Amino acid sequence: MITATFVLILSAALFFFYIQVACQKILRRQFDREYFQSIVAANHLEFPSLRKSLEVFGMPSDYSRLRMMLKCDFLALTYLVKNSVNVNQRYSNEERLLILYCRWQFLSLAARHLLKLGEEPVTLRLASVLQYFANVVGQRVNTVQFGNWTATDYLFYL
Amino acid sequence: MESNLVGYALQDLGILIEASLVFYLAWTGRWKGQGAVAFYLSSLVVGQVTRACFLHEYGWKSLRYYYAYWSTDFLLVMSAFGIVCLFFRRACWREEKMWRLIRLFLVWLLVLVAAISGVFLSLNRHDFFTYFLVVFNQKLYFGCLVLNTLLYLMLHYMNSADDQLELLVCGVGIQFAGPTAALALVHLTNGGRFAKWLAYQTIPLCTFGMLLLWAYVIVYVPKSAGGFGPRNVPLPAVPPELSKL
Repeated sequence: MITATFVLILSAALFFFYIQVACQKILRRQFDREYFQSIVAANHLEFPSLRKSLEVFGMPSDYSRLRMMLKCDFLALTYLVKNSVNVNQRYSNEERLLILYCRWQFLSLAARHLLKLGEEPVTLRLASVLQYFANVVGQRVNTVQFGNWTATDYLFYL
Repeated sequence: MESNLVGYALQDLGILIEASLVFYLAWTGRWKGQGAVAFYLSSLVVGQVTRACFLHEYGWKSLRYYYAYWSTDFLLVMSAFGIVCLFFRRACWREEKMWRLIRLFLVWLLVLVAAISGVFLSLNRHDFFTYFLVVFNQKLYFGCLVLNTLLYLMLHYMNSADDQLELLVCGVGIQFAGPTAALALVHLTNGGRFAKWLAYQTIPLCTFGMLLLWAYVIVYVPKSAGGFGPRNVPLPAVPPELSKL
């Protein structure tokens, strides 16, 4: 009984640990430049300012607003990843994995809020995934020429 | 029944991805660089196809399927142990001294697991499959999970430059940890219905997760230098006679 409990706890912890590590490794992919900034500006995304305010002022007190901002950015970016300059209009394997990871982090955010454990690490993790998605979209938009259109123009008419 | 159908569908999809990955490795000539991956994927295909054939031919309540299941389980666990050993070898291919130590430890672990399982067999001599193979498979599988975690920690501690290997190890970790947790829950609940349902879903899902991650690694992540060594190797000092020039 004790051995089985030990095995259960250890292997469950390792399972989540490996998923987290795999996602973090994918997120570490280097882009040749910061493509995300044009996407953030075009779509009025809030995760960069949220991350900056976290670093300067600490955790904001309004949890529901924080969650809503992250959720809106997540929905906008997953839509863009699927539909912008994507002929197949399908997510790739790593995008699917990161979307699952994001959902898991949203659950974790809610759980940490309920247990009053502090939402800062989860918020930062979510911001890094959102930045990755924005970089992916920015890179794709950048590789395709649309006449005289800029990335912002293209995304505006999408 | 419905939950079993989902499990079977995932399992079949898994076999398809495994076969596709093996084919991709052979087709693109990456077979040599990814020998460990190809070896494990091939054994997964062989094991699962054999099980599916026996299940289709004799039904899941037959004794033949029971023997086929546990024999292929033995093959899969040994392959799991094999892939962890090969990953250890790849991790320290520049460190022969360390590899010799690790090899000794791996052999010692295998013998220890076999000896512990032998104790169970000696208590119940009449049933080799139940009292040796099942215990041996369970213990070695958990041992592989622990070894894989040690390997990951070793790579992390030594700041290995082999990104591909790190992700492959993560994939193996998902494949080992999920089913181990699910089976431990089944054991704890004495075969409870929910735990069994969870295990039926978790085992193929974890294999599926590992395959997706491996597919990503094989297709997108370039093979780096590998072995131990810091990521940013400092430049060697300029000899004094050259520095004067």
